Order: sequence, then structure tokens, then C-alpha cells
Amino acid sequence: MKPRTRAAFLSNFSIAVGAAALLMAASLLAKPSPPGKPGSAPQQAKKLTASAIQLERTDPPEDLLIPEDTRVATYENVILQLTKTKKFQHVYRSGDRTAADVPDLVILRLIPQAFKQGSQKQREVTTVTGATSIKVTIQFASRDGKILREKIVEGKVRFYGENLRATSDLAKKVAALVNDTF
Amino acid sequence: MKTRSAQINPGVSSKQRGIVPRLLQLVGLLVFAVAGVVVATAALASSRQLTTPQASQSTSIPHVKCVIGLENIKPNTKGTLSLLPTGLEFATGKNKVDISTASIEDIFTGQESRQDVSGPAGTLAKAAIPYGGGRIVSLFSHKVEVLTVEYVDSNGGFHGTVFVLSSGKATVLKDQLVAQGAKVTPHVEPQEQKP
Repeated sequence: MKPRTRAAFLSNFSIAVGAAALLMAASLLAKPSPPGKPGSAPQQAKKLTASAIQLERTDPPEDLLIPEDTRVATYENVILQLTKTKKFQHVYRSGDRTAADVPDLVILRLIPQAFKQGSQKQREVTTVTGATSIKVTIQFASRDGKILREKIVEGKVRFYGENLRATSDLAKKVAALVNDTF
Repeated sequence: MKTRSAQINPGVSSKQRGIVPRLLQLVGLLVFAVAGVVVATAALASSRQLTTPQASQSTSIPHVKCVIGLENIKPNTKGTLSLLPTGLEFATGKNKVDISTASIEDIFTGQESRQDVSGPAGTLAKAAIPYGGGRIVSLFSHKVEVLTVEYVDSNGGFHGTVFVLSSGKATVLKDQLVAQGAKVTPHVEPQEQKP
């Protein structure tokens, strides 16, 4: 290699390395800060506090037919999962008279939005069809009716398991939301 | 030349003769295994169907699965569901839970199908059958009845319990509970659930 060609190659190489370093630095600076850091504070919801929660039973709209075993299994699975979170001193059921004395009671409502009855046999034979899903609006409200937080959650069973497993999946998602909110 | 070719050919044919029986043996074993699984599942289903009419006359029904909803009973526990003069009683080896007739707010029954081979072990077994044979096993199912009982505790708190019984037993239990005085509201029965 001639000395002049060598010098040109070295200068080109140093320019390329410098440009790469600049690009990397720029990409690192432009990267958004992960949620939970002080920079993203306005997006993160403020955590709520409550000593007790009451799970209310909500009827589905008239045009939405949900089997009663699915509704009951959803209710009972959510009660189980709420107790497991250990976020509250007491988890009250719908209609419980003793909840009337609790000052900072939060009321949780599961408002059914959609339901698709799948088939366990279809799921296991085809693996791509026959999923069961249930979609509900999760609503946390104060005793005076003020809505504190609301989110739509969907429980599904896609491959293996009975249809009622969708309710267990939904309840776990509700528990995750409770852990995020309280 | 003719003599040479005659000496080579018998060697090749003896090799082929050795492979063909082995293949046949393997195919035979596979067919036998699949047939065994199919016969076992069919026998299981028919035995379940045979026991149904005998047990429906009794007020004590064994092998009932409590899917969820009873205090101190883990979900999907099997036990004996009995109809007492005071209400329902679900008993496992260790625990016993009563639901009094007066506390019952509503009762629902529904029909469903359950896979003959199910659960984690059944799922693993089905996955282990080669050439998608597990899917054929998944085609075998049996009818069951689901009994949903809604009741209130002493504080007025809502409870719901889901039981899975053999076909025909839930309706009998519901009728007996209604005869005892359990409340039942008129409601629209959803279509029979797909298996």
C-alpha cells in the first residue's frame, strides 16, 4: 500500500468511527425513559390506598347472555385473587352488611362487556379455533360513587383447559390491576 | 454374468426382507397403541354413562367436582354432594361444608361436555402420542351437568358455588331443593355449551 493511500484510508476510518460513536450517543439520548422513573410521572397513575374492598355483582346488559356458572366462577375467582394480593385488611362480598361501617371502602365492579363461548374439544383438536373469552370493565369506585380507576380486561383460554379457565385468567389480570392501583 | 447377478440379488432381497417385517411390526404396534387408547376412553365414557341412572335415585352423589366457591375447599376438589333435610352438604375426606336451603337465592343447571382424557397428565399423554394421535383422543367426551348455587352468608354476603355432576343428577337435585323451599327466580336458559 502506498503511504498516501494509507493516510487516506486512516482518515476515512477515523471519520467512520466518529460518526458511529455520535449515532450511538444520539440514540442513547433519544431513548425514552422507562415507566416508573421521575420523567414519566404524569403518565403513571397515583397509587390509591384503602383498608377494605367490596366486590359488587353487576348484571350484564340484556343483549349479552353469559352462563351463570361463568358469572359465578368469575366472581369467586376474583374474590380469591383479591384475598391473595394481601392489599386489603378485608375483602367484602356483595351485600355484606358489615362493610357499611368501613370508612375508606373501595367498591370494585366487574361490568361485563363481551363474552365468547368457545369449545374445549375444538381447541384441542384444531389448536387455533374455539377460544373462550370474557371481557369486562373493571371499575374502582369510592363509596360516594366517584370512579377512581377504570380499565377493560379480557380473560381467555386459547389452547388447553376447560372454558371456565377463562374466568381464572381474568381474575389474575384483575389482581395484577389491583397490585398496580393500590 | 448371469451367475454373478444371481449371487448379488439374494443378498439385497434378504436385507429388504429384514426391513419390511420390522416396519410392519412398528406400524402394528402404533395401531395397537392408538386402538388401546381409543378403547380405554370409550370404556371410561360408557362406564360413566352406565352409573348415571343408578346414582340419580340417591340423595348422596359421589365424585362431584366442586369447581369453585366453597369456603375451606380448594377449587376443583372432588367429593360427595348430599341433599340433607336442611340443605346441601359437600364433603371431602377432610372437610365438610353446608349450604342451608334458607340461604339459597337461586339455582341454575346447565349441560356441558368434558373431555374423557383431561387434566395436566391427560394433556401430557395426548401430546406424547405421535402423528397427532392426541387430537383423535380429544374427540372423545362425555356429557356432564353443571349445578350453580347462589346463596348468602349470615352477613348477607353473596356466595356462588359451581358443581360438576354426571348427566341428569343436577336437575334432580335442583327439583329436590326447590321442593324443600329453596328460592329460584325465572331466568333465560343460555344455549347448551359447546364441549
